[in-house]
Amino acid sequence: MASTLPKEIRAGTAIGLTLAALLFATSVSLQVVRDRDFPAPPVRDEMLYIRSGAVMRRLTLSFNMIAADIYWIRALQEYGGTKLSPQADKRYPLLYPLLNITTSLDPRFDLAYRFGAIFLAESYPNGPGRPDEAIALLEKGLKVQPDKWQYMQDIGFVYYWWRHDYPKAAAWFSRASRAPGAPWFLRSLAANTLAAGGNRTASRLMWEQIYDTAGSEWLRKDAAWRLQQLNALDQIARLQAGADAFHGRHDAWPDGWMAMVRDRALPGIPVDPAGTPYDLNPATGRVTLSRRSSLWPLPTEPAPRGGPER
Amino acid sequence: MKALRVVGTIAVSVFRESVRDKVLYNLVFFALLLISASYLIGQLTAGQDVKIIKDLGLAAMLLFGLFIAVFIGIGLVSKEVERRSIYSLLAKPIRRHEFIAGKYAGLVLTLAVNVAVMAVALYLVLACMAVTEPAAVRAAWEAPAVDPAMLEAILLIFVELMLVTALALFFSTFSSPILSASFTVGLVIAGQFDSDLKHFRAIVHSRAVADLTRALYYVLPNMAAFDVKAQVVHGLPVTAGYLAVTTAYGVSYVAAVVLAAMVIFARRDFR
Amino acid sequence: MLAIRTEALTKDYAVGFWRKRPYRALDRLTLEVAAGEVFGFLGPNGAGKTTTLKLLMQLIYPTSGRAELLGRPAGDVDGRRRIGYLPENPYFYDHLTAEELLTYFAAVFGYRGRARRDRVARLLDEVGIGVERRLQLRKFSRGMLQRVGIAQALLNDPALVVFDEPMSGLDPLGRRDVRRLILRLRDQGVTVFFSSHVLSDAEALCSRVAVLAGGRLVASGRLGDMAAFQVRGWELVMTGLDEARVDRVRDRLLGATRIGDGRYALELPLESAPDRLVAELSAAGAELVSLNPVRDTLEDFFVEQVTRSAASAPPRWPAGGGA
Repeated sequence: MASTLPKEIRAGTAIGLTLAALLFATSVSLQVVRDRDFPAPPVRDEMLYIRSGAVMRRLTLSFNMIAADIYWIRALQEYGGTKLSPQADKRYPLLYPLLNITTSLDPRFDLAYRFGAIFLAESYPNGPGRPDEAIALLEKGLKVQPDKWQYMQDIGFVYYWWRHDYPKAAAWFSRASRAPGAPWFLRSLAANTLAAGGNRTASRLMWEQIYDTAGSEWLRKDAAWRLQQLNALDQIARLQAGADAFHGRHDAWPDGWMAMVRDRALPGIPVDPAGTPYDLNPATGRVTLSRRSSLWPLPTEPAPRGGPER
Repeated sequence: MKALRVVGTIAVSVFRESVRDKVLYNLVFFALLLISASYLIGQLTAGQDVKIIKDLGLAAMLLFGLFIAVFIGIGLVSKEVERRSIYSLLAKPIRRHEFIAGKYAGLVLTLAVNVAVMAVALYLVLACMAVTEPAAVRAAWEAPAVDPAMLEAILLIFVELMLVTALALFFSTFSSPILSASFTVGLVIAGQFDSDLKHFRAIVHSRAVADLTRALYYVLPNMAAFDVKAQVVHGLPVTAGYLAVTTAYGVSYVAAVVLAAMVIFARRDFR
Repeated sequence: MLAIRTEALTKDYAVGFWRKRPYRALDRLTLEVAAGEVFGFLGPNGAGKTTTLKLLMQLIYPTSGRAELLGRPAGDVDGRRRIGYLPENPYFYDHLTAEELLTYFAAVFGYRGRARRDRVARLLDEVGIGVERRLQLRKFSRGMLQRVGIAQALLNDPALVVFDEPMSGLDPLGRRDVRRLILRLRDQGVTVFFSSHVLSDAEALCSRVAVLAGGRLVASGRLGDMAAFQVRGWELVMTGLDEARVDRVRDRLLGATRIGDGRYALELPLESAPDRLVAELSAAGAELVSLNPVRDTLEDFFVEQVTRSAASAPPRWPAGGGA
C-alpha cells in the first residue's frame, strides 16, 4: 500500500520533474546547436594505443577470442568507413595494425588473413596499396598453419595481380599445389604463370576461386566486381576490334556508338557489366570504360611475359 | 548418510540465498546480450556471425561466472561470521567441515545452474542462426553452429569456475571480503600467465630463480589450461584425454583448497 | 547427573597489532549445574559471560581447562542434539522468513516432511509469533528476533538450554513471557542455564546463581543461602500518622521518612516484630499501606562484589606479557 506523501513533497515532485525535463531538453538542443555551428573535426586519426599484438594477447587473458572479434569489427569499419568518406586518409593507416592485432589475438582467424591479403594489397583509392603488408600478414598465418594452401595461394596471387612478379607468383602457386588438400589446378596455374606470365584466363580463374571460397559476403562481392571488370576488359577488346574494323571500312573513326549501330556493327549501345555505356572517343577511336561506371578504374592487368602492361 | 544430508541442506540454503539475491538475473542480461549481438553482428562483420556469437557466448559465460564465483564466494563464510548468524548454526549438530562443504556445494550448484542455462541459450541462438543462413554459407563454417564440441569448452569453463569458487571460499574463511577478492582475483590473473613461468627457465640466469619459478608454475593454479575456446570455435579437436586430465587437475586442486579451508575454519574462534 | 560441568576453564585472547599480549577473558572457571535446575549466570557487561557460553558451545576453544555438557565434552556433535542455544543479540538470515529459518534449522537436525512442518508451527506459536512468520527476518524488530531466537533454540526439544541474555531487547510483556517459558521448561525437567546482567530476572527464576566479574567467579550458590541476601529488616509504609506519633515510637525504629501528607516510611530492625507496631499504630488511627522485607538487593551485592573483585583481582594481563 503506497503511503500518501505530504502536499509539499508532491508539489515538489511535479516542479522538480518538470524542471529536470526542461533542462534536459535544453541540453539536447544545445548539443544540436553545437554540432551544427562548431562541428568537431572528423576523428579519423583514431589512436591505436597499443599496437603490439603480443601485448594485447597478454592483456586480454583468456578473452583473446572475443577481443580478436572486436578488433576484426574495427578493421572492417576502418576499411568501410575510410572507403565511403570523402575526406578520410585514403592510406587506411590503421588497417594493417588492426588486422595484425586481430591475428595475434586469434592466430587462426582465417578470414582476417585472407581479407587482409586482398584489401591491404589493393591500390589507391580502394585500398592502401600495400602488397608487402598483405604478404607479411599471410606469412604470419603460415607460421601457425604451415600447410594452409589457401594462404600460399593468396601470397602467390598478391605477387601475380598487384606486384606483377610472375616468377615469385609461380613459386608460391607451386608450393601451394604441394600442400595437402590443394586443388588440382594450382599446378597448372604455377606452370602457366611461369611460362606465360599474366593472362586474363588465369586471372579469371583465380578470382573465380576466391569468389567460390570467399566465406564472406564482402569478399564475394569484391571478387564478383573484379570478374565484372575482367568481363569489361573482354568487351572493350571486342568493341575496339569492331571500331578498328569500322575504321578499316570507312577510313574514319565512328563518331559515336550510333554510327556503328547504323553500320550494323552493333545491335545497340554497348553497356558494361555494371550497366553504364562505354565511351567511344570519336577522335582517337579508343574504347574505354566510362568514368561514371562503378567498375572504374579498371585494373592494370598482369601482362603476358615480356608483353607491355596495358 | 547424515553428513550428506546436512551438507545438502546447507547447499540448498546457499542456492536459495543466491536466488533471493537476484544473482540469476545475470542470465537475463546474458540472453539479451546474445540476442542483440546476433542481430547486430550480421550488419558489421562480413560473415563471421557464428564465430563471433560463439566467442561472445563462451567469453560471457566465463566472465559472468567469474563475477558470481568471486563476489558470492568471498562472502560465503565471512558474511555469516560478520553477521553472527553463524553462532546459531554451529550450535546445532553439524560439524564445521560439513558447513564448509555445504557452502561450497551451494555456490557450485548456483554456478552449475547458471552455466547450464547459458549453454542452452547459446545453443538456441546458434540454432536460429544456422536455420536462417543459406547452405553455401553453412558449408564454409569451420565448425557447425550447433556444435556439440562446444560442450568441451563449457565443461572446462565450469571446472575453472569451481576452482575460482574454492579459492574465494578459502580466503573467505579467514580474511575480509576486500582482501579475499584481491587475493582471488590476483590468483586468477596469475594463473593465466602461469604457463609463462615454465619457460622462464630458459631465459633466466640464476639457478635459484629458475627453480623458484618452476615451483611456482606447479603451485599456482594453471587457469590457461582450462581455455579451449579457441580450439572449439575453430573446429579443432580437443582430445578426451586432455579433457580428463585437465578436469582431474581442477578437481584435485579444488579438493586440496576446500580441505585447507575446512582445516582453517575448524580451528577458528568466533569471537 | 550434571547438566554442565567446567573445570578450570580458561580463555586468553591475544590482543594488539604488533606485539600480541594475552588478555584473560575467563580465569579458571569451575562450575557445576545439576540437571533440572534453572541456573543464573550473572555479571556485568564484559565479565566473560558470553565467553563462557561460547566455550560451552565450542564456538571458541579454551586456552586450558575442560567443559562437559550432559556428560559429553563440549563441542561433541551428538551431544548438541539435545542442547539448545540462544546467542546474544541473535541475528539470522535477512532474506529468510521466520518460518523458513526454523525449517532450515529443523532440516539440519534431520526433521522432515510433515513432522518438521508441525514442529516449526508449534514453536512459532509458543513464542508468540503469528502471521509475522511469513515476513522476511529483515523486517523483524529486536524483540521479535529474540523470540525467533528462542524458538530455534527449542526446536529439538532439548534437555539443556543455554540462553545468552534471553530477556535482552524485550518489553515487559515479552520478559514476562520468557519468564513463564523458562518456568515451563523447568517443569518439563529441562535444565536452563542463562546469563544475564538483569538481576530481577535471576531473583524471580533461579534456584542457584553464579556471579562472574572480571573473568573470575566471585560467588555461587543458592540465592537464599547467600549471606548477602538475608533479610535485614522491614520497611513499613503507613498513612494517617503525624510527627508526634512517629516520635513516640522512634526508639523502636532504625529510621523514619515522611513521604507525604501523613504518609511515612518506617524502617524496623530485623528483631522487632512489625505486626505489633502495625497493630499499635492502627489503633491510633493510622492505616497500613505496605510491609516489605529489606535485604541487600542483588544489585548491592553485585556492586559490592564487583568493586571488591576489581580491587583485589590480579591483573587480567598476566605478568610477563607487559602491561
